[in-house]
Amino acid sequence: MVDMVTPYEIGHGILRYIIFYPPVYQFVIIPGLIAALVVAIFIIWFERKAAARVQMRYGPYEISPRTGGATQLIADLIRYSFQEIIVPRTVDAVIYFAAPVAAVILSLLPLDAMPLTTNPAFWPIPMDYSLLLAVALMTLSPIFVMAMAWASNNKFSVIGGVRESFIVTAYELVAVLSMLSVAAAMSTYNLVDIVQAQSSGLWFGLLDPLAFLTAFIATLMTTSGFPFEIPDSESEIVAGPYTEYTGLMYGLDMGAAYIKRWVFSVLMALIFLGGWAPYVPGPGFVLGYLVPSLIVSVKALVIMAIMSFLRAVYGRYRIDQALGIGWEILVPLALAAIGIGFAEAYFHVYAYMGVMALAS
Amino acid sequence: MGTEGSQVQSLPGMQVHPLKKNLYEVAIGPAHPGSGHMRILVRVEGDVMVEVDPDIGFVHRTMEKLSEGRDWMKNIPLFERMAILDACNVTLPYVEAVEKLLDVDPPERAKYLRTLLCEINRVASHLYGFGIFGVFLGHSTLYMWAFGDREVFVELAERLTGARLTHTYPMFGGVRRDMPDDFGQHVRKAAAYMRRRLDEYAKIFLLNPNIRSRLEGVGVVSKSRAVELGLAGPNVRASGVRYDVRLAEPYEAYDRVDFEIPIYEEGDSLARAWQRVEEIKQSLSIMEQAVDWLEKHPREGFVHEKFWKTAPPIYKKVYAGEVPYAGKYRVKMIPLYASLKVPAGRSFARTESAHGEITYYVESDGKDVPYRVRLVSGSYRNVIAFKYVMPGHRLADLPAIYGSFDYFPPEWDR
Repeated sequence: MVDMVTPYEIGHGILRYIIFYPPVYQFVIIPGLIAALVVAIFIIWFERKAAARVQMRYGPYEISPRTGGATQLIADLIRYSFQEIIVPRTVDAVIYFAAPVAAVILSLLPLDAMPLTTNPAFWPIPMDYSLLLAVALMTLSPIFVMAMAWASNNKFSVIGGVRESFIVTAYELVAVLSMLSVAAAMSTYNLVDIVQAQSSGLWFGLLDPLAFLTAFIATLMTTSGFPFEIPDSESEIVAGPYTEYTGLMYGLDMGAAYIKRWVFSVLMALIFLGGWAPYVPGPGFVLGYLVPSLIVSVKALVIMAIMSFLRAVYGRYRIDQALGIGWEILVPLALAAIGIGFAEAYFHVYAYMGVMALAS
Repeated sequence: MGTEGSQVQSLPGMQVHPLKKNLYEVAIGPAHPGSGHMRILVRVEGDVMVEVDPDIGFVHRTMEKLSEGRDWMKNIPLFERMAILDACNVTLPYVEAVEKLLDVDPPERAKYLRTLLCEINRVASHLYGFGIFGVFLGHSTLYMWAFGDREVFVELAERLTGARLTHTYPMFGGVRRDMPDDFGQHVRKAAAYMRRRLDEYAKIFLLNPNIRSRLEGVGVVSKSRAVELGLAGPNVRASGVRYDVRLAEPYEAYDRVDFEIPIYEEGDSLARAWQRVEEIKQSLSIMEQAVDWLEKHPREGFVHEKFWKTAPPIYKKVYAGEVPYAGKYRVKMIPLYASLKVPAGRSFARTESAHGEITYYVESDGKDVPYRVRLVSGSYRNVIAFKYVMPGHRLADLPAIYGSFDYFPPEWDR
């Protein structure tokens, strides 16, 4: 005899094992796709408003002035989604369509390697080597930007793609080195341990500011933010690798770079800004998962906001200058940051904070 | 890439340049995100430009030919279209050349009024150039600031002439109208504001390490090279050549106002940007001096007696302030201009516009339209520098050099 499955149980099952199943939940809801979308709308609004304040103008204001024109962003988004997608005859159609989709998915993937709570029930994967895994997954998506450029079969796209490849090789290294310096300092790859070690308020960003700085600049660079907006520099090569894309496909291209920046910000919030630090995750879904994840998101949002504000201050560097900054300044700095990490490990800076107790 | 397998068609008038291996041709333009319509064909080897070919004639509008079919007066609005942001400076030599043929010398007051508008235009044009420069380097703040502050000078011009951009202000034998009573205080306020703002520009843009690294040592034009290429305007002065028409051959009231010609020796893109900042400062000083003079002297004659005596009596009452018509002193255009015939002859005049020296050669055969007008503008003389300065630089330097030359496409091709 088979037990009857009630609709309640089905609904509960879908919620429990599909939607709130941590790998799916983190990938799609917080801090994944949906949170990234909300953050995107906020950041674009903030970017426009902050830049407008600097530049002595109003920023978006036409729709609902009381909210500072926030709904205008949603209107923009809808307009983008329903624009006609024009596919040039000369493109390599399969890669042309597949590359942006793959880029978006692979940009989101590292989120599944990041813990947002101490409760193992809400971890998407076992967290023992999560830092290494997260950093490794982050380096996957740039190849698809080059694929987009090549599939577009356009001079500007190819020049943009080549620039992207140069920049990625220079700056992924810096990003990886500076983010791994925390592993040197705390003798662990476990992101949960790393966050727990910072719960005293002594954030790693304060202990090793050099690593934070290099990671910040490298993130700006790999996601083509100002002053390193070089692969899609408008006044030289139209839209770089994205020149032949229109409508929603262009939105995906932009979204991939943007999500990548968001994922980097979340990881930086975990490593350098203490993750959910002042808060101690409690029992249950809300106190144990939702609240800490929101705290991490807010910290990441602050990093994003600072990055987008730089648009109002800087112009863009030339590619050789940017590469020079990368190879000649940032790589040595990142190595120095690792050195600081080793020194901290040698002097047991984190030992008294209970890392060892937690690891044992 | 691209041409493989496809056949190169030969069309009449089409030139086919075979490209060397590893050479890549990129067309900058025809609609560029940072500027007007223009085209520059660039051949790059990797990221380095090896050949730069500004396509002169790409947006040619037959302005010289059009002028041969229009009344003498109607040519002023036509030539304004060449650089509407600098309307007074680019039409003034035409007016001066025709005045030479008519043998009239504008009254002193008109000369000062022309000088005043020329300098307002120069400031507005330099600010426009800065805005475009900002876009080229991805610096949106400078773009917004420069265009926002340019509005101050556009509004000044509107108060003086009634039009924001295409003023058609200098007329044969004078100007179109006198300045309003309160114009002086507006000019002084604008000048004080702009001096303060220029310091802020320097902070955010010219002293910004990011921008400095983009501009320093980029697009260097040495003194001898600048002379050899025949550059004009602020660009030649930024290379250390003390040449300015206002100095070399003073026109209007420039021999009676006190100003300096700033010089920079470096000749790179940064020097050209600083050159414009210094020139704006000088222009502000000239504006203040002109306004001081105009306020001190009585309102007598903004146009030559020869034309003024043909004006209807009501005009004279309006100008005397007895009859208000659309505000004080606002005299309509004197009807004689519409049927003006210029005695046969040839004449030549030049002024210093914001983009460089602009020269007009005017020939009349005594009819109501010119026989021939020939003009050479500042941007036309500057554009050739691209061909010689840019190769060897990276493609990303093209916008930096382009912007630093403050080069204006509609003025290049008339």
